[in-house]
Amino acid sequence: MTLSLFILFLEQGVASGLVMGSVYALLALAIVIIFKTSEAPNFAQGDMMMGAAYVALYLLVFRKAPPIVAIPLTIVVAFVVAALFRGLVLAKVAKSSGSPVNLVIATLGFSYVLRGLVRGAGVGDTPRTFPPLASTDSIMIDQASVTILDLVIFGAAILTMAGFFWMFAYTKLGRAMRAVGMNPKAAQLVGVNIGRIHMLVWGLSGVISAIAALLISPKILMTADMGSIVTLGFAAAIIGGFNSLPGAVVGGFVIGVSENLVGLFISSRAIVVAPFVAIMLVLIVRPQGLFGGRTSIKKV
Amino acid sequence: MRSLALLVALAALVALPFATTGYVVYLANLLLTFTVICLGMHLVLGEAGQFSLAQAAFYGIGIYTSGLSGAAFGWPFPCSVLAAGLVSAVVGLLIGGLALRMRDIYLALATFAFGEAMQWVLMDWTSVTGGPNGLHIAPARLFGLQLLTDKQAYPAVLVIAILMLGLAILLSRSRLGRAFRAVRESEVAAMAMGVPVKSTKLIAFALSAFFAGVGGGMFALYSTYIHPDSLGFQTTILVLTMVVVGGLGSIAGAVGGAIVFGLISELLRQTPSYQEVIYGLILIVFMMFAPKGLFAFLGESFGRLRRA
Repeated sequence: MTLSLFILFLEQGVASGLVMGSVYALLALAIVIIFKTSEAPNFAQGDMMMGAAYVALYLLVFRKAPPIVAIPLTIVVAFVVAALFRGLVLAKVAKSSGSPVNLVIATLGFSYVLRGLVRGAGVGDTPRTFPPLASTDSIMIDQASVTILDLVIFGAAILTMAGFFWMFAYTKLGRAMRAVGMNPKAAQLVGVNIGRIHMLVWGLSGVISAIAALLISPKILMTADMGSIVTLGFAAAIIGGFNSLPGAVVGGFVIGVSENLVGLFISSRAIVVAPFVAIMLVLIVRPQGLFGGRTSIKKV
Repeated sequence: MRSLALLVALAALVALPFATTGYVVYLANLLLTFTVICLGMHLVLGEAGQFSLAQAAFYGIGIYTSGLSGAAFGWPFPCSVLAAGLVSAVVGLLIGGLALRMRDIYLALATFAFGEAMQWVLMDWTSVTGGPNGLHIAPARLFGLQLLTDKQAYPAVLVIAILMLGLAILLSRSRLGRAFRAVRESEVAAMAMGVPVKSTKLIAFALSAFFAGVGGGMFALYSTYIHPDSLGFQTTILVLTMVVVGGLGSIAGAVGGAIVFGLISELLRQTPSYQEVIYGLILIVFMMFAPKGLFAFLGESFGRLRRA
């Protein structure tokens, strides 16, 4: 491989990687905020994203709604469904057994229900294409070719993350969420309504997944199984430490870029396994992830 | 009362191939296989409290080891089933040695990553596993006898399942089983009592891999074909839900969960359109109203009836 080809591959890999990585970062963020407050990973995250993508598809293509209506409506639906699942189902599961395994199984059940509904409703039976919300003309950044859509995806993802971090850091609601994540009992003592915060966190996670769905859907073929892309969000969250929000974002970009570089430099078949090898390597070297704090020891 | 019920169950299992069709026997073979894998999950998660989301990978290693060793060396099937278990256990030891430095969610995710990577290996190591074309498994042999049908394989599958069940019960009642539970309840307290926490966890992990590998060996007895697609995370999740829905932490729960949930999944296959919705709702309802599993739930309900 000549040097110029090497640089071309490198630039293209990093550019495409940052675009996909920004979506993985969103998904990882959605996973981590739930994990931080519920102590259980949400295995329905991928199917929440898939469900939101199909709601948007239904509104845009089947109902011919203009994007200005369809996008906010999709986000509202994602918020309400996710918050209700937490408020009606998970609250009861958490009450009847404190074990995280039970919460995990309940989220798995939710993911089956969502997938079954999409398949059963008659829109998820055949692969579909999502109408791109921006032009797909390509432009060159130095030697790397990206589309306008790619730039919109990247920009929208960055804006979403910035808005989210602002809310988490500076608003009263964000402080309440952080408090519940750190010490639920103490948060309750100072007057935080824990049930409501849990619902809001789930709703917010639904919103972030919906935004990720709107961004990624034009770039992939839509099927009822498209939620499996969340595996890469999980990989990103793990690399970032699983309880660190900045870590999740960095992890997303690491996964996106490394996936594209592996695809260009090694082989496209190795793309599938690269994230898992990355997870194992990171966990072996740093069991708590790159940005994770010290793992606490359970009290006797 | 209890031993009577067990005798009846055993008699029914022995009589099964004489009274029913090939499909039912195939289903029985599959359920017995999943029972053994669930016992492995029970050991590592239910007894020792350590997550392992790589059961499907160990099951797959078992299937391929058994199928390939049977074809390459012409081993009689007890040898190839044992080899399946041992190879899985060795891989389990290696992976456990790395993964058990982590705990809880990190352990779950590391083993999940291993499971996914293993599926990729099975899919892409074409020269050995046949890759995406799958692998045709030669019929199992014993002293010139060939097991060609589900009915012929059934006695062997049943005997292995009973042996493994016995092993699980022995383990659970042994000093090792007590050490597992001590580690599950509190690692610090277990350490203070002189339980070697690290090696105990490692043994639990390797044993669960052994059980899953033997399950793979059992599968190779009655099945003629395997494709890596069926060895992914879905299968691990199926085993996990069987164990949790049956009742995490008890052998009866693991066995009952495997049978009841295996039957439910098979019945739902008849109604493909709403299969996933119903399956998901069952999981959710169980976690909401019967968090300790089917058997604890039934026990409590009967207790309430008796008191009333």
